[in-house]
Amino acid sequence: MKVTTPGTEGARHESVFHRLYVGTGAFDIVGKRARWYVALGLLVLVCLGSIGFKGFNLGIDFEGGTKLQMPAVGAQGPIETDEVQEAFREAVGHPAETVQVVGSGDSQSIQIRTETLTPDQVAAVKQELFTQLQPLDAQGQPNQQVISDSAVSGTWGGEITQQALIALGVFLVLVTVFLAFYFEKWMAVAALIALLHDVVVTAGLYSLIGFEVTPSTVIGLLTILGFSLYDTVVVFDKVKENTRGLLGLTRRTYPEAANLAVNQTLMRSINTSVIALLPVAGLLVVGAGLLGVGMLRDLALVQAIGMLAGVVSSVLLATPLLVDLKMREPKYREHAAKVQQRRERAQAKAAGEDVPEEAPTKQAVTAGAGSARRPSRPSGKAGRPSGKRRR
Amino acid sequence: MAPPAGQIRPGRYLAIFALIVAALYALVFFTGDGKPYPKLGIDLQGGTRVTLTARTLDGQPPTTESLNQARQIIETRVNGMGVSGSEVTRDGNNLVITVPGEGSEEAKQLGQTAELNFRKVVNMVPAQAPPAGTAPQAATQQPGDQEREIEEAKRTRQSTDPAVQMQALQALDCAADDPLRGNDDPKLPLVACDREGQYKYVLEPVFLEGREISNAQAVPPSPQDPGWKVSLDFKSEGAKVWADFTSANVGQQAAFVLDSEVVSAPTIQRALLGGNAQITGQFNQQSATDLADILKYGSLPLAFDQSEAETVSATLGVASLEAGLLAGGIGLLLVAVYCLLYYRLLGILTILSLALSGVVVYGVLVLLGRWIGFTLDLAGVAGFIIAIGITADSFIVFFERLKDEIREGRTFRSAVPRAWTRARRTILSADTVSFLAAAVLYVLAVGQVKGFAFTLGMSTVLDLVVVFLVTHPLVALASKNKFLSKPSVSGLGAVQRLGNQNRAARKAAVTTAKEA
Repeated sequence: MKVTTPGTEGARHESVFHRLYVGTGAFDIVGKRARWYVALGLLVLVCLGSIGFKGFNLGIDFEGGTKLQMPAVGAQGPIETDEVQEAFREAVGHPAETVQVVGSGDSQSIQIRTETLTPDQVAAVKQELFTQLQPLDAQGQPNQQVISDSAVSGTWGGEITQQALIALGVFLVLVTVFLAFYFEKWMAVAALIALLHDVVVTAGLYSLIGFEVTPSTVIGLLTILGFSLYDTVVVFDKVKENTRGLLGLTRRTYPEAANLAVNQTLMRSINTSVIALLPVAGLLVVGAGLLGVGMLRDLALVQAIGMLAGVVSSVLLATPLLVDLKMREPKYREHAAKVQQRRERAQAKAAGEDVPEEAPTKQAVTAGAGSARRPSRPSGKAGRPSGKRRR
Repeated sequence: MAPPAGQIRPGRYLAIFALIVAALYALVFFTGDGKPYPKLGIDLQGGTRVTLTARTLDGQPPTTESLNQARQIIETRVNGMGVSGSEVTRDGNNLVITVPGEGSEEAKQLGQTAELNFRKVVNMVPAQAPPAGTAPQAATQQPGDQEREIEEAKRTRQSTDPAVQMQALQALDCAADDPLRGNDDPKLPLVACDREGQYKYVLEPVFLEGREISNAQAVPPSPQDPGWKVSLDFKSEGAKVWADFTSANVGQQAAFVLDSEVVSAPTIQRALLGGNAQITGQFNQQSATDLADILKYGSLPLAFDQSEAETVSATLGVASLEAGLLAGGIGLLLVAVYCLLYYRLLGILTILSLALSGVVVYGVLVLLGRWIGFTLDLAGVAGFIIAIGITADSFIVFFERLKDEIREGRTFRSAVPRAWTRARRTILSADTVSFLAAAVLYVLAVGQVKGFAFTLGMSTVLDLVVVFLVTHPLVALASKNKFLSKPSVSGLGAVQRLGNQNRAARKAAVTTAKEA
């Protein structure tokens, strides 16, 4: 009898990291779902509130305007923003909205933002900047061609956003069909709720912190959806595997099986996120640090936020939601009751026989019962061995 | 001898992969120009990109036909710039003009519709068939040649000297491409052909610009007035000039010149003072509508708004490319270090698979640039970097399944086939979702999103190829190797110990159960 629970005991005393690594399932995530609901619900409310009241900090692509960019080094040494502003005023007759230095090192450049200029005005500004400041090209020669410019009409950002929203709609429909076909009804529902959570939270954080929203951000948001679902699909796949044939046995309840699945995929979820976030971090560092502004930074930032939200929701929201949705069906509730009954009987029997070293009640309380009780058979072949054991 | 169920012959898969890579790079090096470089977008090599959004009067989406027509016309204008590698592509209701390299800023003017001018006709002669033996102009021209040709044409065909004009009129070949197209100087006379190539004209300097036209429409025949005609309204300034001109030139011809070509040269029958004119002639419904559209929009069948115009200096382009590569490099390095720390042997396999995946992706990229003109832009680079995570994740799903199996007490070797069958399902479904997202984005989104979605989707598909043909066979091989499957090397020690414990526990449990 002494050897019944070595795995559990071992895991219990190991560090959190070790428990994560070996995936013994010692975290009761489903059992404590109420607190996740409250926490994430609050977060969503805050986000919605911020979107509603504070709104977004829309970038140049939504308002329209012209942007000019040139290296921050000229023939007479580093170029000051005042000098740029002066040259701009001489060319156009009024000052630019902003002139700032962006990026660092060799890639450092000066960025000018202004309302939309005509092509002639752009040419005049470029000419003026070149004659006054002599920006240097990669070979160290003054060159007018190093001045870049981009103009965006005020409707362009809106058009991109509109297309993105259409894409979002189509994507949601296709994904719902796919999920309903591949998983079960409630899994599709839970996955979609988690997805909406990710969108709202990401958008909300953008609104709250006041990051600039550009078309790249909108695009990035769409790819997050793919990532978020991807994560949920992996977790649900395990849930599906763990709960196959569950109703025919009285070994563990649906919530317990689901919790086990979350634990088994927890390290994968963390690993995936870390590994997905590492390149994004590289992108963010280079995009924001070296170039200062632009598409790389915008894409990286929204991905980083969205991926974090995606992982949190697939672990803490999707599976608990799935459990609640499932438990609305009477057959799962009846099954859970049966499991409970059997456990009580077994416990009484054990108590009648001798002093239980196993202390099953304590375990049941600590950690999602099934998973803690039986770490020895975590995955896949649900049921069969326990059936053998009961004989 | 067939392998047992669930087992594979790793060598065979690896050989298939090697064949694919060999075939891919054979195509890269021995077809097309044989240069192993992908096509870069203008934001990575410098140049100008202009996005034109079609605007219709009634707010309806423009027809595909008119968009294509506009694309062709603008393409002709772009080619007139003589910069190699320029192109005009359709993207939804937008036309995207890309012109690489320096001096590409002219491209911003190309989408403008008002290249229509009014000139007075001095002389008109029928165009003869081009003299036999005149070689058509070579399709591939050096930019320098183009410039010289324009200079030459300007010197002869825009001369103020009547003698030179007559010579130019004689020499002008209406069947050949016109280097002057849209480049003529409005302040000088012009020798030009009409659109059909039937007449050649000597024209005076521009007296009125086409942008002074406020509206033009085709008028159907009426009982009093048989035959289709085109009605024209001028803005107030233009109406005045038009009134003065027609008063002074009754009986003369006024030519509507578009991109250096005479579209129509009606004879002025009386002074037109109301800011309105009617052009009659041998019109049918189609030709009247065409002329009206040309007068209204310039040569384009649609009006375009410039939604986005960007000139990237070569310096900034190179800096962006370097930044993108650096970001990718850092990303890969971080992933490699993490995988090594966490998975040890399996980490090495991950890195190897990622590297091979990169090899395949690069080859496909070069070929796509060659075959379908796919250009890699900054957004595309970002797509690849983000795809590193998705690619690496397939390995992680597999490895974690492997750990599951080992945790249950299996050996590394026996765990591989079981873990694979399960991981395969998950990888397929998860990649399907990713691919779905990328595909939807690619089809529906506009602008630079397309490049991003394309590279993301492509990486997802190629990820499957690598996982199936490389990662799984390599793991299977490693599991059969004594040294590689040692716990200290494989990094599976902790899990294996747990697995052993579990196995012992199970044995004990079975014994207990029997005793009971």
